Amino acid sequence: MDQTLDRRRLLATAALGGVVGATALGSLAPEAAFAAEATAVAPGAPDPNFAEGRISKISGSMLLVTGSDTVLHSIRITDGTSIWKLHPTTFDRVAVGDGLYARGVRLPDGTLAADSVWVNIVNLHGHVAAVGRNVLHLDHKGQRILAHVVPGRSAAVYNGTPAVSDMSLLRVGRHVQVLGAWHPDTNEIDIATVYAAA
Amino acid sequence: MAALRGEVSWFCCGTAWGPCGSAGGGACGTCRSGNYQHAWPNTSDACLAITRPHACGITGMSRRGCGFRHYTTNLCNGARIGTTIADCGPQTDLFCGERTCCGSACGSNRIIDLTPAAYSVIASLSTGLRPCSVDTV
Repeated sequence: MDQTLDRRRLLATAALGGVVGATALGSLAPEAAFAAEATAVAPGAPDPNFAEGRISKISGSMLLVTGSDTVLHSIRITDGTSIWKLHPTTFDRVAVGDGLYARGVRLPDGTLAADSVWVNIVNLHGHVAAVGRNVLHLDHKGQRILAHVVPGRSAAVYNGTPAVSDMSLLRVGRHVQVLGAWHPDTNEIDIATVYAAA
Repeated sequence: MAALRGEVSWFCCGTAWGPCGSAGGGACGTCRSGNYQHAWPNTSDACLAITRPHACGITGMSRRGCGFRHYTTNLCNGARIGTTIADCGPQTDLFCGERTCCGSACGSNRIIDLTPAAYSVIASLSTGLRPCSVDTV
């Protein structure tokens, strides 16, 4: 708990302009960082420390995000914020129009000081309709999704085996789960990991 | 219910952006990505006929309805989250035998899907899948 409080204080300090470097928050391994989070939100209730939506404006280190429910969010990126956009990345790779999920600490002024931001992340289920060169055509809830294989990044997990870059075992008609990054305003995504059933 | 060990993933629901835009409110009509909610494979006969956890040899998965509370623990780090049922899923039978591990902590077969708000409390969304245990207290 002390660790959680320390971490939250550091985030808030960073959001308010304090001198905090990534190393100050980076002492926690990724899984340990999530284990250290405390939550008082009741099951079923909305989490005030979470936000989702699309970026409508970027001003300095602040993201102005329009939630899918039209609620507006101000999200502060700090030195300690981890950003994912197909892979761990930096703030300069974030753009207006991107979709996101963000988790952090809600400050008294309503701003969310972000601990983690996942940009354009999707986790889709579908059937493989066709396999092309470096692309999968997926049927997802009646929609066609073009899932691009990104050399050096995309990986496949075949029924729980270790991830490999070889996509050749993916077959038309099989069910897959694809974790990836959406191309805004298109039906296309880049594949981070595709989980294939046996 | 004795703790059930398996795999946990996440799914979007409610109003959403991108490919999630068609997700809707789930089987219960109340599902929101920003809420602490989950999908459960045995919410009704119709649900069970789709998810078919028994096809993977899973027993002891109780019938639970909308709003019922489950507690999911990420076996990679011990983080735990309480959520309520808002949808039917995951489709367990499509990944029968799948196994996810963190070192020696493993889970087989998909038994629960959390909303992004809930999953991100116990793991990074970029992990996609984690071994877990699910109980009711």
